Amino acid sequence: MSRANETVWEVFARQAYEEPLHHVGTVTESDEDLAVVSARAIYDEQPWIEMIIVPRPSIREAISA
Amino acid sequence: MSSLRVDAATATMISLIGSLADNKGALGRRYGEWAVSAPTIESAVAAAAMAQDELGHARSTYPVLAKLGVERSEETGLDAGHAMFVIANELPDWASFIAANLVVDGVLTTFVAGARDSSIEPLAQRARKILQEEGAHRVHAEAWARRIAAAGGEDLRLLVQRIEEMWAQAARWPGPDSDPGYQDAIAQGMVRYGPLAIRDRVRDWLIALMEGFGVSVSLPEPGDWSDWDPQRRR
Repeated sequence: MSRANETVWEVFARQAYEEPLHHVGTVTESDEDLAVVSARAIYDEQPWIEMIIVPRPSIREAISA
Repeated sequence: MSSLRVDAATATMISLIGSLADNKGALGRRYGEWAVSAPTIESAVAAAAMAQDELGHARSTYPVLAKLGVERSEETGLDAGHAMFVIANELPDWASFIAANLVVDGVLTTFVAGARDSSIEPLAQRARKILQEEGAHRVHAEAWARRIAAAGGEDLRLLVQRIEEMWAQAARWPGPDSDPGYQDAIAQGMVRYGPLAIRDRVRDWLIALMEGFGVSVSLPEPGDWSDWDPQRRR
């Protein structure tokens, strides 16, 4: 099955309310729902209280590397 | 597994709960076998996670039988049950995996949803925990159905075929709607709804899901119950 045109999603999570969300990795999926399932399955090594995913194309650089 | 003389409602619940655990154990095995060969690494990991969920559901469901007076040896393990034939052996293709995810998981989870407030308290507790985890399974199944429908062609034709094959057996799992034991179980609050309602809910969901992709599937009501085994529920 072709993986062309799939989106890279940046995954952010935190373990406590007083912590900020921090970057934990990426998943590659064309489907938003599958990206959520994948993120939860792949980055399940910690007892996260919150996890979000952001499509990489939506990220805007404020300062370029 | 040993059993004792019980009323019709309890006998039906013993059969349903034992078979639920048997099928969840088998589903966990089948999901796990695809954890090394799914089409993408992300879905391989998701398959492993779902396998872990299903095997956990099986392990936590068997002890409910003890509350109904049925002793099951700890050494029996998860391979001794009588699962539906469609998930008794390795799934031949990814379409079968998604069809099992949609249909078999769908039928079992719809039964579990009807036991969320069961008068059998240990069953109600397990049901609530199982339903929390099954939400992700449903999202996975629906998203893959969408992906395969978008791909079309042979992939889609095979998925429809596998869904219809799985339905032919999974739809029989709840049994005939006229089962007096099941009707007594509903009357006693052990489950909220019966076999026909389970089939209707799963059928309505699947037909609407696939129609949303412009695809029709045939999910007929089972007709002939003359050879149905109420113990193995197949």
